[in-house]
Amino acid sequence: MKTDLDTVRAAFRAEATELLAGLERDLLSLERSAAPGVIESIQRSIHTLKGNSLLMGFPAASDVAHTLEDLLARIASRSLPVTQQVMTLLLQAVDGLRGLISHTPGEGREVPDVSELQRRLREAASAGCSSEASPAPESAAAEQPVEATSHAAPERTLRVGLDKLDRMLDLTGEIAIARGRLTTLLEQADRHSPQELLEAHREADRLYLDLQELVLKARMVPIGRAFQPFPRTLRDLCEATGKLVRLELSGEEVEVDTTIVELIRDPLTHLVRNAVDHGIEPPSVRKQRGKDFKGTLKLRAFADSGSIVVEVEDDGAGLDRERIRERARAMGLLGPNEEREDAELFQFIFIPGFSTAERVTELSGRGIGMDVVKSRVESLRGALSIETREGAGTTFTMRLPLMLSIIEGFSVGVGGETYVLPLASVLECVELPEEEQRPGRTGVLNLRGQPLPYLRLREHFAVEGPPPARESVVVIRHGRGQAGLAVDTLLGQGQTVVKPLGSLFQRVSGVSGSAILGTGRVALILDVAALLQKALRPYAPAAQ
Amino acid sequence: MSQPVPEPLVQYLSFFIAGEEYALRILQVREIVEYEAVTRVPSAPEWIRGVTNLRGSVLPVVDLGMKLGFPPSVVHRRSCIVVVEVTFQGERLVMGVLVDAVGQVLELGSGDVEPPPAFGTPIHADYLVGLGRAGKKFILLLDIDRVLNAQEIRAASAVTTEPPPESPPPPEAPPAGAEAGEPQA
Repeated sequence: MKTDLDTVRAAFRAEATELLAGLERDLLSLERSAAPGVIESIQRSIHTLKGNSLLMGFPAASDVAHTLEDLLARIASRSLPVTQQVMTLLLQAVDGLRGLISHTPGEGREVPDVSELQRRLREAASAGCSSEASPAPESAAAEQPVEATSHAAPERTLRVGLDKLDRMLDLTGEIAIARGRLTTLLEQADRHSPQELLEAHREADRLYLDLQELVLKARMVPIGRAFQPFPRTLRDLCEATGKLVRLELSGEEVEVDTTIVELIRDPLTHLVRNAVDHGIEPPSVRKQRGKDFKGTLKLRAFADSGSIVVEVEDDGAGLDRERIRERARAMGLLGPNEEREDAELFQFIFIPGFSTAERVTELSGRGIGMDVVKSRVESLRGALSIETREGAGTTFTMRLPLMLSIIEGFSVGVGGETYVLPLASVLECVELPEEEQRPGRTGVLNLRGQPLPYLRLREHFAVEGPPPARESVVVIRHGRGQAGLAVDTLLGQGQTVVKPLGSLFQRVSGVSGSAILGTGRVALILDVAALLQKALRPYAPAAQ
Repeated sequence: MSQPVPEPLVQYLSFFIAGEEYALRILQVREIVEYEAVTRVPSAPEWIRGVTNLRGSVLPVVDLGMKLGFPPSVVHRRSCIVVVEVTFQGERLVMGVLVDAVGQVLELGSGDVEPPPAFGTPIHADYLVGLGRAGKKFILLLDIDRVLNAQEIRAASAVTTEPPPESPPPPEAPPAGAEAGEPQA
């Protein structure tokens, strides 16, 4: 019985979360301009939420929604102007509702306290135009519910069109038939030619591939879902910092695997906070510098050859080259007279613990740091790059695969082991010339007149067995340049189903997952960027 | 699932590591498979043998002997992988444990289990739930969750802010044998 109730509650929560997200969006658009229909839409959402909450045993949420309705009725009848304070209060009410809904009735945890919020909502709804709540309790009330929300584990659900599921079901049936046929044929294998058997297998295989594609497509959702919270985040940030920022979103419709949407939210949040806190200057400074006093933050997504690119661009001050250099020297990452190219210098900000004390503020000093952004992006087999111009702004670019579960892989053999590289990072393969065949973990090879540093996987992974007569080098995109991986044999490309290695291997670097080969053995999928970064940095010659 | 049956017997599966017989509660054991084709994972801790294919899913394989402080196990004809369900850093996890040979299935009542002595056992008493009486000899009843988590914490001693899932202290402290009786009832 209890589980039934849990399921229903989970469904309610998922729906309520969506309602609240929509509500938040509507509220923010109401703040910008009172477009017709928006207030009605808000009222509808609240009303639905009120009814459902009561039904599902969330009386406190229902009460808040009820008071909120009163307030909204006054806004709709224009007897209450939508001031900034009113809006802040409304948004806090949304937060409060989130907190209440994430709380499970009858569970040990305390119900988030919303009495203060309630009081202020009532006050605003009843009093004339006095929405001037004292600022002190405002922040206190705002924080409590937010905290409660973060405790609840998010429901991992996805809405899929019924037509897609129907098609999957059809395919499953067709596969069952093809499989049955294959079994019959194999049982009498001696009566059939290998070609016939192979033909029957291919038929089943084609259906299977269709199903695979369908399942993967069903997991695709618009990246805009990851952008959803930012209008609100930005509003709060602006209020907290006294800065003025305009948010421009584009490419929200580009579809990616739902896991990617889930996992890039945190890094995106960090980049956005960072951009507002460190990048965009206060209005007065901007005016002095001859810029529009309102900063612009662009969140942009677009698909690019099997990847999705997500950019966070601000038109702020840009990265402070001098300060980064100073900090790098202080940390001993850079010699006192050593100079680095910009691109390399800016990579330092991704080193754990790099951010300087003065840069740590209320906003970006907590939560996840730049190093975590980078490692998260890399764990998704993506890449992160920075472009910055002093005084003109900074752009962080994340390049991520569209799908996580299946990749085009390129297999190489080293000793008895097989490793898979993501094909997207492979540029070309060359034979290691005999005169370059010096033993050792790393080396440099002359590739059409350019030096190419390479890493010998056999040595790096300490693979046993006799070295081959001839080695090959896979040339790989590495940051902006190239690097090589010396391997024994090239085994070619193919679709690879990625299996995560699990929490036992958390600290392993250079490996992003595993795949089961046709032979039944497990092969490791290499995280090329991490591998090369770790292996070649101390050995790499100065950037060309 | 324990029913109100008077004094239920608990089943254990025993196996050999470095010449000694250990046992796990059979409810923790999923299956026993042959040792074959384990792929080494570079830069993983050395007591992690690698990963293998268990009917299409990727199973980590742990050299339990090495984890307990013995030299690396040598794989021979009777070696096999005991697939167990463990709690690793607070997370349920299925993993394979490389053992030298599988022993027997034991049925022990609470009267057959003695608390581990303070010293004299080949591994630290903290890694043991108790000693199981089987005929004339004692079989070491292993607390595998503690084993797997303990050394992990020792290895990363700089970041021991997270205690192991169970509250008792890490095995470094010389304990009295009494406290180890807790997980079995």
